[in-house]
Amino acid sequence: MADLTADAVLRKIKTGEKVERADLRGLAMPKALLEGVSFRRCDLDGANLEGARLAKALFNNASLREAFLAGADMREANLDGADLEGANLQGAILVGANLNRANLEGANLQGADLSGARLTHTQLVAAKLGGANLTGANLSRADLSEADLSTAKLIDANLESADLSGANLEEANLLNANLRDARTQGANLKNANLTGADAPGLVKKEGTEGLKRYFGKGDVLRNAHLEFDSGASVEIESLFEQCTIALGEGTEFVVGKSGTLSGCQIRGAGRITIHGKFVEKESPGITGATQLVVTSGGSLIGAVEQPADYTRFGFEPGCILRMKIQQGKKKDGGAERSGKAGRQR
Amino acid sequence: MNGRKTLVEEGTQFKGSMTSDCPIEVKGRIEGDLSAPSLQVSPSGAVHGKVKVGAIQSQGELAGEFDADTVQLSGTVKDNTVIRAKSLEVKLAPANGKMQVIFGECQLEVGNEQPTKEIAKPASVRPPEPVDANGTP
Repeated sequence: MADLTADAVLRKIKTGEKVERADLRGLAMPKALLEGVSFRRCDLDGANLEGARLAKALFNNASLREAFLAGADMREANLDGADLEGANLQGAILVGANLNRANLEGANLQGADLSGARLTHTQLVAAKLGGANLTGANLSRADLSEADLSTAKLIDANLESADLSGANLEEANLLNANLRDARTQGANLKNANLTGADAPGLVKKEGTEGLKRYFGKGDVLRNAHLEFDSGASVEIESLFEQCTIALGEGTEFVVGKSGTLSGCQIRGAGRITIHGKFVEKESPGITGATQLVVTSGGSLIGAVEQPADYTRFGFEPGCILRMKIQQGKKKDGGAERSGKAGRQR
Repeated sequence: MNGRKTLVEEGTQFKGSMTSDCPIEVKGRIEGDLSAPSLQVSPSGAVHGKVKVGAIQSQGELAGEFDADTVQLSGTVKDNTVIRAKSLEVKLAPANGKMQVIFGECQLEVGNEQPTKEIAKPASVRPPEPVDANGTP
């Protein structure tokens, strides 16, 4: 049984009395004006605070399990260490809120505005964050494993050392996000925007040499279309399935020992090195590469269409090839190509 | 073999089948079937035909069907050529240097292991299919 009713809480607030540590389970105060009120260490499990105005309210170490906070305005609220497991915060405004060390496991934060919020060490396992705005949020060391972050805005977000394993980041916007040391095993990054993102584990910048993009072991990309600019450096230790990859001129493209490109196509004047596996779906699987190296232990199954001025090949003993080499289409459609490898008579 | 080898000297053209117990070195041109422990093709040499040898080391021109245990290639591989080998080595030429090897439209079947076209999951490891001595499953 709860200690206080809604009316009693309002009376206490008006008279300046504290409601901290109170048992407020099941409290129903939808749309109430509770800005700056302290609910520290209160038990608000199952409370209904839908649409309540809770800006700068204090919920440090409070229990809000299964609470209904949809549409609540909680900007700059302090929820440090609060337990919000299974809470409904759909569409809530949590701009600049402090959610450090809070437990939001399985919470519904769809469409919530968490821009600039602090979520370090926060438990967000299997949380629903689809379409949420996390622009500039600090999620370092947060546990986002199996969370749904599809279409979420994570622009300039700090995800350093965060756990994103198994998370759904489809069409998420990670522009300039910090993903250093983030765990991304099994994460779905289909159509995610990683432009300018910074992380040795996934994407990193390397001074004037352009972008180095690294897709780590355990990641899976399916049906994605990827384009890498001229001068970029790409290393893949992941599984890519049914992906099309466009390489700018001189792009360094490395399939690492753990990397597998299955049913994929690579186009463009890049320099390709295969330590892992490449299997084409449609022929030719590789078109226009200026250089192609398959190292010992690497395998390539598919056709390679050379550019007009030939591909520079390198094969190490121990590589596995089931490979057709084709000649590129002539640019002018006129005279025979001047190469030495003309048609055999 | 006491260092003996069959030499097709520059300016010599040979047409027909050749079987040898000695290594063959080609500085001239061979057109036809060839069987030997090993074949060395010099930069001036050319071999067009069906070749079955233990080892090929070529800096010249190859065209036709080549079966070997080990192949070291540079030079030129002409259109419609098939190379089957347990091991193939093509050294990568420096970016601004001369091409190590120029491939026409050809087919390379290299390695004992029969690779699979279907790679389902990263964790799944499919054991290689049994193959015979020629690398055929």
